[in-house]
Order: sequence, then structure tokens, then C-alpha cells
Amino acid sequence: MSVRVGTPMLPVYTLGPKSVVWWGMIGLIAIEIVVFSGLIAMYFWLRLVNPSWPPEGIDTKGLLIPTINTLVLIASAVAMVVAKRAIVRGNQRVLKLGQMVAIALGMVFLVLKYIEYSGYGYDWTTHAYGSITWTITGFHTAHVISVVTKGLVVLTMALRGMFRPDRHLAFEVSTLYWVFVVVIWIPLYFTMYISPRL
Amino acid sequence: MTQHDEAQQVHHHYGPQHSTPREGPPDPELLERTWRPLPGIVGFFTVVNYSTVGMRFIVTGFIFLLLGGVQALIMRTQLAQPNLDVVSAELFQQLFSTHGVTMMFFFAVPMFEGLAMYLVPLMIGARDMAMPRLGALGYWLYLIAGITLFVGFILGVGPDAGWFAHAPLSSETTFTPKLGMDIWVTAIGLLEISALLAAVEIIVTIFKCKAPGMSMARMPIFVWAALVMSFMMLFAMPAVLLATVAVGLDRMVGTHFFNAAMGGDPTLYQHVFWFFGHPEVYIIFTPALGVVSAALVTFARRPMVAYSIVALSFVAMGILSFGVWVHHFFAIGIPPIGLSFFAAASMMVSIPSGIQLAAFIGTVWTGRVVLNTSFLFLIGFVVIFVMGGVTGVMLAAVPFNWQVHDSYFVVAHLHYVLIGGALFPLFAGLFYWFPKFTGKLLNERLGRWQFGIMFVGFNVTFFVQHILGLQGMARRIHTYDADLGWGTFNLISTIGSYVLAFGILLFVVNFVWSLRSGRDAGIDPWKAPTLEWSVPSPPPQYTFVEPPVIRSLYPLWDPGESPSGVETAADRGVALRPQIREDYRETFGTSIMDGEPESRINLRDNSIWPVLASLAIGIAFVGAMFSLWFFPIGAVLFFLTMLGWHWPFSKEVAS
Ligand code: HEM
Repeated sequence: MSVRVGTPMLPVYTLGPKSVVWWGMIGLIAIEIVVFSGLIAMYFWLRLVNPSWPPEGIDTKGLLIPTINTLVLIASAVAMVVAKRAIVRGNQRVLKLGQMVAIALGMVFLVLKYIEYSGYGYDWTTHAYGSITWTITGFHTAHVISVVTKGLVVLTMALRGMFRPDRHLAFEVSTLYWVFVVVIWIPLYFTMYISPRL
Repeated sequence: MTQHDEAQQVHHHYGPQHSTPREGPPDPELLERTWRPLPGIVGFFTVVNYSTVGMRFIVTGFIFLLLGGVQALIMRTQLAQPNLDVVSAELFQQLFSTHGVTMMFFFAVPMFEGLAMYLVPLMIGARDMAMPRLGALGYWLYLIAGITLFVGFILGVGPDAGWFAHAPLSSETTFTPKLGMDIWVTAIGLLEISALLAAVEIIVTIFKCKAPGMSMARMPIFVWAALVMSFMMLFAMPAVLLATVAVGLDRMVGTHFFNAAMGGDPTLYQHVFWFFGHPEVYIIFTPALGVVSAALVTFARRPMVAYSIVALSFVAMGILSFGVWVHHFFAIGIPPIGLSFFAAASMMVSIPSGIQLAAFIGTVWTGRVVLNTSFLFLIGFVVIFVMGGVTGVMLAAVPFNWQVHDSYFVVAHLHYVLIGGALFPLFAGLFYWFPKFTGKLLNERLGRWQFGIMFVGFNVTFFVQHILGLQGMARRIHTYDADLGWGTFNLISTIGSYVLAFGILLFVVNFVWSLRSGRDAGIDPWKAPTLEWSVPSPPPQYTFVEPPVIRSLYPLWDPGESPSGVETAADRGVALRPQIREDYRETFGTSIMDGEPESRINLRDNSIWPVLASLAIGIAFVGAMFSLWFFPIGAVLFFLTMLGWHWPFSKEVAS
């Protein structure tokens, strides 16, 4: 043990892997990774048992909107990471700006998603194909809604100047989760949009 | 807010970030005040302390054991003789389904979660769990789930598709039109969330809150077991959550995951569910083995033989148990190569259990055994469990599996494994830790009687069921014809079940009696080696007056020069204790592998938000049975409770 008499108090405020909140977030992400992996496995299982995929009568999804949307989502994560780096250096302006941009991009994603899905002539009751794609999309979209909402809360905190280079745990875990929601979308994108074309 | 205000506020919530350690002796009164729950009914709903929440899990779990037991007795009464009509076929269906669900999800899992929540902080020398409010939320969700299940059952709409609810029986409203399966979806869904919260909570606590000096290699085996259990829950529970949600969607919004006519596939359900289902058995069994290890070491009066190999075999068991899920449905038609793979995996998973058993026997062999009630239950566990293991290896042989598929052979096997592997160790643990939980010793005489009666009753009940199975009696049948000749064995089995139930009843009597007039236990009635036996019984809310410092695997057997038995920071003349403030709920944050102190963790205190958050989630899940609109409503309410949970945010920024 390296603590001696006269050493200063251990810090009560910690970031990253020293903080239990950070580990709690990692736990949540681990759980969600298992859930999303399960959904992907279900998708491919259903594809395996069906002779044609997507089934007759259901058009293959168009690639344009979802691809743009994927890029939008990735950009939002980049904005979050930039903001997170900024606060570590004490740059409040970039912090606020980054969070705002991320929220705006998240909203763009939601709008485009709405446009995309209202253009489909099938829903979850049409076929198991519809069931799994709508479920995956619905589940993931709920995540985007939740990070955007949480982003608004964190933005309020940022606007009130509550974050400091050594005190920004809320922002740190928020970024962590945001990046997760974006990164997990990439395999979902490949599953739903690219894999049927291969 | 100015810079100064902010500094003030942070100071107010946490004390100064850096200051010099406090001088002087510890102040138990101050600790008492800091850790006190709120008084009265408000306190009931706001308490978050690990010992209260853990005890609630344990007591509630035990009540579910009794409820499930009553259901079992009703079933056995119905089956005592051919052509009885004690309950209708329909009710019988609900009985075995609800019994299975209750025992697997509402008794076994929460019971061991509760033990882990109560014991892990004590064993690793922490003042509380890492995220006390999360534990409280988990408990309320569990309670809501359990109430939903039993309200449904009492209203005549219990689940009726077996505990694992295979699709499409469970997922098509044409097959199971009643609300029962929706209740299954709701109750299991809520319970899974509760279990996942507990899992994260236990893992983070073990990772971050070990006492200074407690490296991974100095963790008691029980803590290893709790860790492995939690990781298994983390990976297995999401699968069943997915399976239940998919069933719910098929039933409630008209998706077709399991409807073959619309491109779905019923076997998909079996894969997703059993990916969880088999590890589930190990999720129950792993902490039970942890209990066994703890009691065994104390009562054999020597350290565990091959500690590190035993710890590793827990990890190995956790990993291997994910490779065996397909053996639950060998009979559905799977390519031969797949069959061989899964049969091999099924056999391999018995290797770590074999290693553990060998280490247990070695420990007992070379120890000086104290043959008390707790130890008797350990013996009972080994005997019964080995028999369950033998029938398990038989079932892992594919041709044999086909032969006895869905017969009473399987019912017998699963009860040998579950009762031998969970209930007997549980009673060993309850006898072992009851003095710590309550400050009183359980009555030994009654305990021995209980053991004897349960052991005999259990074997009488379930041994004959092997034979019934080989004679062709199918499981889940409501009654049978006289000319099949199954009457005698069934009667024996039923009588056995009453004997078994009487044994459990004796425990309840013993419990109530000892609580009121049992002998005082003192701090350490067993001369046990681990940290929980260094604090008063029951432990105070703040647990340790002096945060301990750990230098060995068995701190109380290896006390060094410390007069108190446990080496504390103060004993070493080191400024570690005053590091931890007594006017805030604080505990050491240490590194994962070596237990080096790196921070002070500020623990959250009493709060009403966990119970409100659980109500929001409950509204979403329970309401969804009736109208899907409750889901978004619950989500919005949940968001609001989360705002309250983290309020004020200045505090959150710093926590
Ligand atoms: C207390 C003594 C117990 C008795 C007398 C008992 C009796 C029974 C009976 C009669 C059945 C129905 C068999 C059938 O008709 O197929 C059953 C099923 C079952 N029991 Fe028990 N049981 C007991 C304890 C337990 C415990 C402690 C567990 C688990 C921890 C458990 C788990 C199960 C499961 C999973 C099923 C299968 C339910 C289904 O078919 O869906 N039982 N039990």
C-alpha cells in the first residue's frame, strides 16, 4: 500500500475507469450489446429459414436515405467526442457547440428515419421480415430519442457552466453512451441494408 | 453561478476535494447519523442500504419459495392417485407453469442476488454497494413483477404454457387466448430488468469497492461466485428478455417472429430462450456453490484446498455453460454434427464441477469437521447433486435423451439438480449466516430434524419419479389411467412431497422461534475466517467503524498483530482510515486487480426515486397488457423520475 501518513486525501471526484458511474455505464452498454447481437442473430436466423429475403412483394430497402442517415449519425458522435475533448482542455465554447451540433444531427437522423419508414409499403404485421426490421429500427430509434433527450439535459448543464476540465463525469458518460448508440448502428446498417444485397 | 458559489456547493456536497486526513479516533455516533435511514413509512420506501435491500430480496425470495411449494403440493395431491379431480386440467396447467416460473425466476435467482448483495460488501470490506439506489430500484421491480404474477394466478389467469413458454403456443393468441401469457411476458420482463440491475451493481461493487489490499487473489470464493453469477446474468438475461419481448410483440402488436405461416420460426424462440435457459441453471448453481465454499471452509476449519483452481473453475463453468443450450431440445431435429458438438459441450461442463467437488472433498478430508446443521446440508447437497449429475450425463447422451424426453425422468432430474444444487446449499447458507443477519443462532436440534426430514422427503418424492419416467409417464399431465399401473409410485412421491414440505415448515418455525428466543450469536460464533465475522451482528448500516485493510485471503484466521482480529488502517499507523469521511457516505475506491486505493467513493443516500422509477417502469409493462399507450406514458414518467433521481444536477456533476 502506497498511502502514508501525511498524504493528501484521496480524490472524491474521479473520471473514467476510476469512477463507479463510468463502470455502471459500461455495464449498461454491455447488456445492450448482447441485446443488439441477439436481434442481429434473430434477423439472420429468419433470413435462413425463409426461401427469399426480403420476401416476395416487399421491395428491397433503398440505400440513399439510410446511407446519408448513417453518415449523419456518425457525425453526431464525432461532435460529441470533439466536445468531450474540448472540456478536458477547458474550452467551454466548443463544449456547448459540440453538444448542440450533436443534438441537431440526432434530430436530423430522426426526421430522415421517419421519412424513410413512412415510405415503406409494409409494416411489422406483413411478414416476419417486417417484424424484425421494424423491431430493430424501433429499438434503435428509441435509443436515439433517449440520447437526444439526455443530450438536452446535459446541454442545459453545459450552458450553466457546470462542467470543468476535472469535473465532467455526466458529460463523459453521456458521450460514452452516445458513441455506443452510433457505433452499434453500423452493424445494424450492414445487416438490414447491405446484407440482403450480397 | 459564480466560481465561488460553485466551489461552495461542491464543498457542501462532498467536502473539500483535497484536505489533510482527520485526526483522532473513529466516531461511531457520527457514522450512525450519516447512515441512518429516514424514520417511519418514508424510511420504508426510501432506504437504499445494502443490508436492508439484500434482506428484502432474501425474505421475498423465501416467500416465493413457500408459494411455489404450495402450488407443488396441490399438484402432487392431484397426482397422488389415478383419475383424481382435485384441480381441473386447466388449473393444473397454470399450476405447473406458475410453479416453474416462481421457483426459477422469483425464488432462486433473487434469493442468491439478495445473499450476494448482503454479503459482498461485508466480505470485501466496503461500507455499501457501489450504487445503492440501483439495488433498491431492482428490488421494487422484482416486487412489482412478483405481485403481477400472483395476482394473475389468483384471478385465474396465471401463465399456462410451461415455465419456458415455447412458441408458438405462447406467442399466438389463438393458442393461449387468456391474459396468462401476457402476464408471463410482463412479470418475466420486469424481473429480468431487476436481475440485470443487480448484476451490474454486484460487478461494479466487486470491481471498485474492495477494501485496500484486497486483490483479486484475496477475494473469498463466495465473492468470486457472485462475480461469475453476475457476469452470466449480464450475458444470458438479455436473451430471455429478447425472447419475452418478441413473444409479447407477437401477441400484442401482431408481429410474426414465431409464426411459421408468415415467415417466422418457432425454433427461433427455442434458441433465444435456451441460450439463456441453460446458463440460468448455472446462474442459480454458481452462487449456491459459493455458499457451499464459504460454509465448508469455516466448518472444515482449514483453508480451501487449491483456492485458485477453484476460483478459476467457477470462471470456466460460467463460460462453458453457454455452450450447452441446444441439449434442451435435442429432440427437435438438428444436424448430426451439431448434435455431437453440443453433446460434447454438455459433457465438458461437468469438468469444472468435478474439480470443485474434488476440492471440497479434499478440504473436508484434511480438515477438522464441525458437524452442525449447516454442514449436514452441505453433505446433503453433495449426495443429491452427484445423483443429479449422473442423470444429467445420461440425459446428455442423445439417444437416451430422445427416449425419456419430456417424461418424469426429466422432472426428477431437474429437481435433483435444482433442489440439491440450490435449496440444500441455501439452507446451509441460511444456517451459517442467520447469526450474522439477526444476531441470534438458529436452533440446532430443530435444524437437524429439518435436515433429516427434508433429505428423506426429497429422495422419496423424486427418486421414484425416475422410474415413473422410464415407465413412460409424461410430464405435465393432469392425471392418468389406473391400468397404467403408476398409482403406487405416484402415491409414494406425493407422500414424500408432504414430508419435504414439513421439513421446510420446520425451518419457518425455527426462524420465528430463534428470532425471538434464540441464543445470542455474538460477533463470530463460528470462528470463521472472512470479514463479515468481524463486525457486530446484525451489522450496523455503515458496516465497518474502521475500514479494514486486507493482507490475506482469510483475514480473521491470519490476523497479524491486530487486537481486533482484522487489521485496520489505524493498526498500521497509516492514515488510511481518516481518509474516509464519516459525515458523508463514503467508501474506498480501489483498483480492480490489486485493491490499491485510488479514490473515495461518495455513495448515494436515502431516496424516494428508486421506488418512483420502478412504478414508472411498472406502469409501462403492466399497462402494456391492456393498451400499448402505457408504454410511451411509462417512458415519459421514467424520464421524469430520472431527472428527480439526479437532482440537483450540481451534485450530479460532481458525483
Ligand atoms: C418443494 C418441493 C417441490 C415439489 C414437491 C415440486 C413438484 C413439482 C411438480 C409436481 C412439478 C410438475 C411436474 C409436471 O407435471 O410436469 C414440478 C415442475 C417444476 N418444478 Fe418443482 N417442485 C418442488 C420444488 C422446486 C424447486 C425448488 C424448483 C426450482 C428451483 C422447481 C422447479 C420446477 C420446474 C422448473 C418445473 C417445470 C415446470 C414446467 O413444466 O414448466 N421445483 N415441480
